[in-house]
Amino acid sequence: MGWTVLRRFAISLLLAAAALSAAGRTRPHYGGTLRVELAGDGIHSSGGLLLRLVLDGLTQTGVDGTPQPGLAVSWKAENNDHRWEFQLRPGVQFQNGVPLTADRVVASLNESCNGNCPWTAVRAVGSSVVFLSDAPEPNLPWLLAETRYLISLADAGDGKAPACCIGTGPFAFNGQDQPRLLGANDNYWGGRPFVDKIEVVTGRSIRDQWLDLSVGRADVVEVPPEMMRLAQQQRLSVVVSPPVELLALEIGETGALANPMLRASIAEAVDRAALFNVIFQKQGEVTASLLPQEMTGYAFVFAAGRDLNKAHELRGGLSAPLLKLGVESGGAMMLAAQRIALNLREAGLDVQPVDIGRVQHPDLALRRLPIEGADAPAAMEGLLRAAGEPVAVPRQSSTALFRAEREFLDRQTLVPLIDLPRAYAIGPRVRDFELDADGEPDLASASLEDTP
Amino acid sequence: MSLRQKLLLLFSLTVAAAVAAVAWTVLLRVRHVFERRDQEETALFVSQFQREFQHRSAEVAASVDRLAASEPAHAMAFELAQSGDAAPYLTEAQTMAQDAQLDFLEIVGPDGNVVSSAQWPARFGYPEPAAMEPAQGTFLKREEMPDGSTALGLFAVRAIGGAAPAVKLVGGARLDQGFLADLPVAPGMTIGLYSDATAAQQPGAGESAAAFDPVRLAGPGGVVAGAAHYRALIDAARSSGRQANGVVNLTDRREDSLNATAIPLSNRTGDVMAVLIVAISRAGMVEAQQHIRASAYGVAAGGIFLAIVFSLWVAARVSRPIEELARAAEEVASGNWDAQVPSRGRDEVSVLARSFNHMTEQLSSQRERLIQSERVAAWRELARRLAHELKNPLFPLQLTVENLVRARALPAEEFDEIFRESTATLGAEIANLKTIIGRFSDFSKMPRPELERMDGGEAMRRVHALYAAANQGGAAQGGAAPGAAIRFELDVSPAPMPIHADPELLHRALSNLVLNAIDALPEGGRLKLSARPNGESVELCVADTGEGLTPEECERLFTPYYTTKQHGTGLGLAIVQSVVADHAGTIAVEGTPGGGASFIITLPRAL
Repeated sequence: MGWTVLRRFAISLLLAAAALSAAGRTRPHYGGTLRVELAGDGIHSSGGLLLRLVLDGLTQTGVDGTPQPGLAVSWKAENNDHRWEFQLRPGVQFQNGVPLTADRVVASLNESCNGNCPWTAVRAVGSSVVFLSDAPEPNLPWLLAETRYLISLADAGDGKAPACCIGTGPFAFNGQDQPRLLGANDNYWGGRPFVDKIEVVTGRSIRDQWLDLSVGRADVVEVPPEMMRLAQQQRLSVVVSPPVELLALEIGETGALANPMLRASIAEAVDRAALFNVIFQKQGEVTASLLPQEMTGYAFVFAAGRDLNKAHELRGGLSAPLLKLGVESGGAMMLAAQRIALNLREAGLDVQPVDIGRVQHPDLALRRLPIEGADAPAAMEGLLRAAGEPVAVPRQSSTALFRAEREFLDRQTLVPLIDLPRAYAIGPRVRDFELDADGEPDLASASLEDTP
Repeated sequence: MSLRQKLLLLFSLTVAAAVAAVAWTVLLRVRHVFERRDQEETALFVSQFQREFQHRSAEVAASVDRLAASEPAHAMAFELAQSGDAAPYLTEAQTMAQDAQLDFLEIVGPDGNVVSSAQWPARFGYPEPAAMEPAQGTFLKREEMPDGSTALGLFAVRAIGGAAPAVKLVGGARLDQGFLADLPVAPGMTIGLYSDATAAQQPGAGESAAAFDPVRLAGPGGVVAGAAHYRALIDAARSSGRQANGVVNLTDRREDSLNATAIPLSNRTGDVMAVLIVAISRAGMVEAQQHIRASAYGVAAGGIFLAIVFSLWVAARVSRPIEELARAAEEVASGNWDAQVPSRGRDEVSVLARSFNHMTEQLSSQRERLIQSERVAAWRELARRLAHELKNPLFPLQLTVENLVRARALPAEEFDEIFRESTATLGAEIANLKTIIGRFSDFSKMPRPELERMDGGEAMRRVHALYAAANQGGAAQGGAAPGAAIRFELDVSPAPMPIHADPELLHRALSNLVLNAIDALPEGGRLKLSARPNGESVELCVADTGEGLTPEECERLFTPYYTTKQHGTGLGLAIVQSVVADHAGTIAVEGTPGGGASFIITLPRAL
């Protein structure tokens, strides 16, 4: 009996220890260095991942797509959305110890806005930031969560951080040399991140990133859409976002392209299916709409098929000189541009893909436009602003949104092609790795299984 | 031109022509040899290129064969046949081309559409006509590139698995500067590949597509220098589809010319896709030719120099006796009849020299005899004249003395009268004798002229003034019948006629001529005195319209003691001739019977 009781007690102890151990493994660990590799610089490309780590916006996008408090704890609209007042979070400091004030927020917004703002004026009123606009701006809380409106300390670069990148985010630059080192911000208003440091190697090719991941030299690497299938074949652990980028063909309105029929002919001649099926390896979705179907529910209305006969008919024998199609060099984008050039040649148009960095005003441009947030009107407005169309998108109803989009697309200056997701491959040490609504990794929430 | 110069020129021209002919022949031969060597070298390189081309073709075919036979290719073909999904193989061609070291590779599905393209990845889904080519051997094809350019390549088509319709591989290697760089190139050799970019795209594009563009002629290091000069060759090869040869002149200098061959590269349908240029510099040949030409010129110059020296020696040897003969003949002609030439050897010239010497000896001997005979004749003539002249006055003297002797017997008065008449006659005849003797004395005592600068016209005017005035006064009309007038005329050129002469002797000579003319005009007539310059001399002329002279009289007129007058001594014109000769002049007479006579004194004009 005694042995039985003793044995039962011992077994109970073992089970309790095992349960405690299991619970310990599921809890995030603090500490460690997360190694991230990017093809771009992380500031102006790769989705501005580094900016997301060191800067905060006045708002941030929630999981459900609604704006959540960021550096602003509350906001309210007045005068039929012509005036917005954002109350700043108290007690927040920049990473160099400078307090966050309304004046500094205004200075940062004025610097980053660069004239293409959804507001007419922005002012500091006490601990509030007030936005004024001539037209109603119902989407402002969503827009302020976008990367371009993140708050940084203006004119305050030091030896550790670039001039752009002293903010209030969960990480702070510890140096500008390669690899870039970001340390955890212990005073982060949202709570200290789990990892102590993030080591970011920029300008690394995708193949090298994958190689480093396979040998354990990297924890998080990029997976472009066109390589997702290959990554899966190689059994990488890939985390994929919903569509967060729109591959679109911008058409200029000068020269021969001032003729809308010619622009319409181009739109009809592009073979989206070939781009989607082959070049982008069936990742994302073919679209002729600005926003994905799951955001608007009406994207299917816009026909995405190719009609070469209609393209010829629309062109009507019009001839155009050699058109330059600007595109970022290399990779799937250049391949897609060459394919589009082939499609347009079939329609009787001579198109030459060129590096967009070498030509100032191309006749055509193949671009990836960000779809930020999960709110359709705000995402559309942000997308249009990124495309150089500063228009306020109504929030009244889906019908109004559809009409606004139809009106814009009928101008044939932007031809939506494919909605693309963003994806990252992670190593076995990484835990709790998630992508936010913009497709960017939430590294502040990620942790490492083994701490050095 | 002297005989020696002629001989010299003849010899020199002969040698120079001979040397030039030899040099020209050598140059022609050298040129022929070099050109043949260049042609052989070009032909060798062309054959090397053709071997390299075949080798490259074999490499391409082997690479595509290996790819088609590889396990991954078979797996891919199987998957494609099963699923029909070409998307996973978008970059497969690039990988396979990289592994096989091919510049071009396209995977073509059973439907004839591109599954994957290494050179133009975006071409997936488009048809590839080359996949319809027979799966044997290689062929030339112009491939379109994404940047709009075209590239020429050697292609091979192979089916994966062999069952039709099958997945095919269309692989190729680029024919470009890299291909040219691998070819063996000798020093001085230029190779280039002319590729017509638009011809393949638009075979029927017309003239603009066929237009020659020198930029398209590229060598291993870029555009071939002077590419425009190859136009004729390349056009010939493109139009005919056959190899063309020729000389390409890059500049005006012959050293910058090339022996070039244009080799057309055609596809299976015979369309010329490109033209390979093989050119070998002719600089070596031209330099060798120039060297040989310079040597030939040097040899020719030396030969000509030696020819001149030799010709000088030969000409001197040949012409010297003839020149000596010529000089001797000139001496003989100038009066030196004692001239002799040396005679050496037994050749014709020596015989001529000896004959010449004999002739001059004979002439000298005959001259001596002639002089002696003339001297005797002269003395005889002198004696005859003296006898004749003296006999005329002696006969009256004899008669007068005999009359006096006979009158001695007459009464004193008659004797006195006869005595006075006889003494007067004696005195007159004695005076006549004195005159005769005085003339002979004057002839023998002709003084040496004292020359001074004077004007010939003035001398003539002086004579005219003297005798024209006398003629008007009748004092000088000794020869003219009473009432018969002599009309004096003076024709003196206004131009200055300076001469070196003794004024008195010249005046006496002219006076003699005037007096003779007056004597020739017993019935009156015209007597003309004239003076005029004639080149480097001055002519003084006394002409009358008297009875004239026969040709025989003209010939003998200046012979001493010859006269046509009844009472002349025959010394007047001899004295005139003596005076004229002392003044380095000449005197001539012109006249015909009944046509008057003209005496022309020609004196050298004073400088």
